[in-house]
Amino acid sequence: MAAAIAASLPAPQSAPTPAGPTYEAIPASMSKVIDIEADIPLACVQLDGMVVSKIIKHAREAHGTSAHGVLLGLDLDGTLEISNSFPLPHHINDDDDKSVKGVARYQASMLRSLKEVQADDSVVGFYQAMALGSFYNQTLVETQAIQQEKLRHGGVVIVHDISRTARGNAAFRAFRLTKAFLDAYKRNNFSTESLINHRMTFSSILEEIPIRIRTSPLLGAFLDTLSAPSVSAEPSFTKPSSALPPSFSVLNLGTNNVSKNLEQIIEAMDAYKTEEGNLAYMQRQIAREKGKADAYVAKRKDDNAARIAQGLAPLPEEDVSRLFKIPVEPSRLDSMLLLGRIDAYSKTLEETSSTALVKMYASRGSAVV
Amino acid sequence: MPLVPETSALTIQNGSPGFLSTPGRTPTSVTVHPVALFTILDHYLRRTESQDRVIGTLLGTRSDTGEIEVRSAFAVLHSETAEQVAVDMEYHHTMYELHHKVNPKEVIVGWYSTGSNLNTYSALIQNFYSQEIAPHQAVHLALNTGVEEGQQSGVKAYVSSPIGVTPKPENAVFLPIPCELQFKETERSGLDLLSSVSNGSTDAYPATDLDILERSLQSVSDMLDRVLSYVRQVLVGEVKGNAAVGRYLMNTFGASTDELEKGAFNTSLQDTLMVSYLANLVRSQAEVSTRLALATAS
Repeated sequence: MAAAIAASLPAPQSAPTPAGPTYEAIPASMSKVIDIEADIPLACVQLDGMVVSKIIKHAREAHGTSAHGVLLGLDLDGTLEISNSFPLPHHINDDDDKSVKGVARYQASMLRSLKEVQADDSVVGFYQAMALGSFYNQTLVETQAIQQEKLRHGGVVIVHDISRTARGNAAFRAFRLTKAFLDAYKRNNFSTESLINHRMTFSSILEEIPIRIRTSPLLGAFLDTLSAPSVSAEPSFTKPSSALPPSFSVLNLGTNNVSKNLEQIIEAMDAYKTEEGNLAYMQRQIAREKGKADAYVAKRKDDNAARIAQGLAPLPEEDVSRLFKIPVEPSRLDSMLLLGRIDAYSKTLEETSSTALVKMYASRGSAVV
Repeated sequence: MPLVPETSALTIQNGSPGFLSTPGRTPTSVTVHPVALFTILDHYLRRTESQDRVIGTLLGTRSDTGEIEVRSAFAVLHSETAEQVAVDMEYHHTMYELHHKVNPKEVIVGWYSTGSNLNTYSALIQNFYSQEIAPHQAVHLALNTGVEEGQQSGVKAYVSSPIGVTPKPENAVFLPIPCELQFKETERSGLDLLSSVSNGSTDAYPATDLDILERSLQSVSDMLDRVLSYVRQVLVGEVKGNAAVGRYLMNTFGASTDELEKGAFNTSLQDTLMVSYLANLVRSQAEVSTRLALATAS
């Protein structure tokens, strides 16, 4: 009886589907025009567990030279999923044409090979490893700017800090260039007025995107098996009972690289001071030239006025810019990047010293009482 | 304070113990880096419908004493039917060249396969790889993903040696050799991160240094609670105390912190305080300087 009634009722209207991404196949001719995924802005980056360990390994092995490589993955529904990565060979001379082509060939070859084993082969960004927290340098900015123009959604840079990982806190951060900075970079104009117009400080060069780490269930199960302690009749105190025992290295009282960090801050500040000195010198030059030009124009005007008073033809007002070369206002990009580095180094220093303080007071606390 | 060793060599629970050490260049033990393991698992996840198991090449370094260290791996195209097995050698060479460019120290040391059944095809592939890296012997890593019922996940390593009357390539016996997981301490926190993510902890990411410290201290505090309750039980008489445990506890907690008061500890503390103050000062200076640059000429 109830079934008959249910059958006679009209089928309930499904709730109108929200305007989310549709998964119909786009005809090939239109696929260049309709790019649904590109309309959804990136909100979050999702890193696969394998990528995490690959980046850490590459960063540790390429000590001395900074390690960088390419990230592969897919962007889906506002989340950039990074599923694979490979390191790029380190080229010694960046300006060398051959080495640039070599890297491009390496990348193309790698992508082809990965495609054959059904790995994702779309480049979505690149990663960079650095030490002690500072990654503001020219190459990073340039590479990211190029990438943001070429890739859909603009690529992200994943930055990994080796020293932080060694201290016990494996941290990855994802960045993107802000619109304001890209604007100024395209016009290659970093003079003072341009900075003021865009309200650019070193902290507004890059904007951070939140990261999520994801491990596939298989990986998680494997890790669980490795870290599960095995039960044995005779527990020993020297050998750990599982393949992955918990580590307490973060509780070490150590120097935490303080001296190296301080050295780098001092270096960066020296460079900044030099840079500022150069900037000030250029500004003085410009001011001097402008002063001379203005004086010349004023003198011309006076001469002309005098000649008109005497009844002679006035001298032509020559084009001042040909006589006095006013130098172009220097770019302040370098000094901004240097300030960013100083800030990043001191931030790292601050963090290490705060944890060191906590640990020291904790270990001393028992003696005081 | 316990010192932390540089590397940690830890044992995977190996199902089949025992190994045969043969003289010469036969590998005697294998240490695997976690990255290689994860790459293999990822490849297994990405296999097509028709493939039951996947194979690939192992890269690493070889020491003089016969210890092989597997540092990374890459997948190789292969197809396996009832009658024959085919391995794409061209692909294998290409990928090896590419990997070699980035890491010149890593060479081919063997091959892997998921699924731990060793059949004729395994012997053939093993022969192929041994020919590739002659005169060294290839190591075969069988990784069991534990996906099927009744099979425990784990890693086993083998070397092959010919057996039988006629030296045909498919007549070989696989001898197990010990296999360990090894990584540097600096990479430890990366693995911790992955373990905590897979355990489903919902802490905010990225965790600051203080969060990590807090977690470690919390776990130490829990351990101390457990030890304390055990000791109380022994004192009351509920549980019979283990002499080894007691001695170990006495040695561990015997260290006193009296001498910390004198000497370098206090000066170090003051230095740290000053460094912290300086770092804050530098940061605020940098901020002020960058704002000043904006303020001029407007």
